[in-house]
Amino acid sequence: MKWKIGEHRPDRRRLLRLLGRAFVYAGTALFSVGLMGRRGLAAAIPALAGTGYDWTKHRWGFGIDATRCIGCLRCVEACKTENGVSRDAHHFRTWVERYVYLKGEKAPRIDSQADPGNIAASGSETEYRFDNRYRDAKVEKAFFVPKLCNQCEHPPCVQVCPVGATFRTPDGVVLIDHDYCIGCQYCVQACPYGARSFNPKHEVTDKCTWCYHRITRGLKPACVEACPVDARIFGDQNDPESPISRFIRENRVQVLQPAMGTSPNVFYVGIEKEVV
Amino acid sequence: MADSESRMPRHIVRLLLIFAIGGAIALIARILFQDKSYGRYGIYRGDAVAEIAADEPMYQGPGYCQSCHAERHAEWTAGIHKVVVCETCHGAAAKHPSAKAAVTVDLAGKSTRVRIAGERLEHIKLAIPADSVKLCTLCHEKMPGRPAAQKQIEVSSHAGGQQCIVCHNPHSPKIGAAGAQKAGKPGDAAAGRKKAAACAACHGAEGVSGNPEWPSLAGQQRGYLAGALLAYKSGARPDPMMSAQAKGLSEADIGDLAAFYSDASCKAAGSKSSAQLASAGKAKAAACASCHGAEGVSGNPAWPSLAGLQEAYLVNALKAYQSGARRNPMMAGLAKGLSEAEIGQLAAYYAGLKCK
Repeated sequence: MKWKIGEHRPDRRRLLRLLGRAFVYAGTALFSVGLMGRRGLAAAIPALAGTGYDWTKHRWGFGIDATRCIGCLRCVEACKTENGVSRDAHHFRTWVERYVYLKGEKAPRIDSQADPGNIAASGSETEYRFDNRYRDAKVEKAFFVPKLCNQCEHPPCVQVCPVGATFRTPDGVVLIDHDYCIGCQYCVQACPYGARSFNPKHEVTDKCTWCYHRITRGLKPACVEACPVDARIFGDQNDPESPISRFIRENRVQVLQPAMGTSPNVFYVGIEKEVV
Repeated sequence: MADSESRMPRHIVRLLLIFAIGGAIALIARILFQDKSYGRYGIYRGDAVAEIAADEPMYQGPGYCQSCHAERHAEWTAGIHKVVVCETCHGAAAKHPSAKAAVTVDLAGKSTRVRIAGERLEHIKLAIPADSVKLCTLCHEKMPGRPAAQKQIEVSSHAGGQQCIVCHNPHSPKIGAAGAQKAGKPGDAAAGRKKAAACAACHGAEGVSGNPEWPSLAGQQRGYLAGALLAYKSGARPDPMMSAQAKGLSEADIGDLAAFYSDASCKAAGSKSSAQLASAGKAKAAACASCHGAEGVSGNPAWPSLAGLQEAYLVNALKAYQSGARRNPMMAGLAKGLSEAEIGQLAAYYAGLKCK
């Protein structure tokens, strides 16, 4: 023991002073780095500057009018082709669900194009169609609901990614960097909407991007382009005259599972409470 | 205070040293291996955004198709199917007709992103849906859940399993709509009368033919007459006699002639066959009625009335559709299944009907 018990130790005070100073310096440095970082975020992506696209000027939004949907699944077909999604019946970026309320039954019967009966009706796993199983049933109410990633304001999938492979862009789209994705599937578990799927062939997670390569070129997402009944609406929420702004303004819209606190950016019209 | 007193214990120094080396290795690894763009916009690789945005669109939109298929495009925009874009039925245009052409049209920028499902499809030729029943019923099969505003059919009882395109033009499926578009400018019947002098020798002075093999023209649908003359003129409908006659006609002449004959009052040729034959034909004619009218008088300017036409002419026409001498996708499909006896019955039935 170099020090005797009860003896005054001046180096302890010196250490505290040193630590205090270090905190102040480090704090200042981190704050200025943070400021620089924020300035970087506000700037448009240089790589997209040539296309005239500024991601700080847009806030994309998506609308679903379930009262118009006819369940033809051309959106699913378009999405698969446009984005090179695996053709099988179990991997989708967008899909359509059918809700059928039969007379005397409390809960709806729900199926999607991945249902074995519907695969049998199309004749192939790579073609999509709904069968007519309720043709002779006593149907009280029935409707189709297209679904896709909600591009949440507060995306739980982004929160849980351990490697920074998924992120939300300033224009409001949640993307996946497939080069950085390690395929841990935390995000698949975290998404309350089941909007993410795992691609076992490439061992990465896949999700809807609202066709980011199209919307940054001024085109509509492929599913919106292909929809024959205008059940899918897309546009910029920053522009009050865009289709999506009008859709939100002129309808009583709702989002899926609002209690999750995710603030979705896909707005629905004409669905029942059973649709989550 | 002595130096030895302020020195830190050796095991602490060793520990700090290990931390420092570990930190240095982590820092070097970060500089060496982390992408330069990581953290540029947030906690992710900034370049990933541009890579994702660099993918080339596959669905090109109707404007892209219009640049070559203007005629089809015009037909489509005039009809009720204009809400259904080309690629919804024909599939994504992508680089159709060829990769080279597509680059010069409007696709700029190359994709360096690793695609999830491997390479993209490259359509050189787009699909013309072979099974129109399968395709059309995707939207039009009567099914619970489809909104009432959607036109829906009971597949089992509609048109007896025939292909939809037999009666409907998929680009403008409302029966009658496409024909009205094709009828062209209204002609001048008085001018047509003068120009009709050359036709009178075979088709009769007032368009009522006296020859059993040559059709009467009086009262026929205007759009059909004009279309037939245009087809003779272009060679789409070859006929030794008519091709030569039509070659010298201008489009205005054709419009005038069609106006003159369609306005002229008709006279039924009548059938010399037995009533039994005609009644057998009536039973067979149900399939014809949706286009040619329940009583053989067509409600569509583009499709001919059959009532009161020459019996032999009708037989020849159906046989020509069967053999392919007269080309028409709708009629070829319908005529294919007819026997010689059935053709005779149909001709007898229509020839005996009252024209209008």
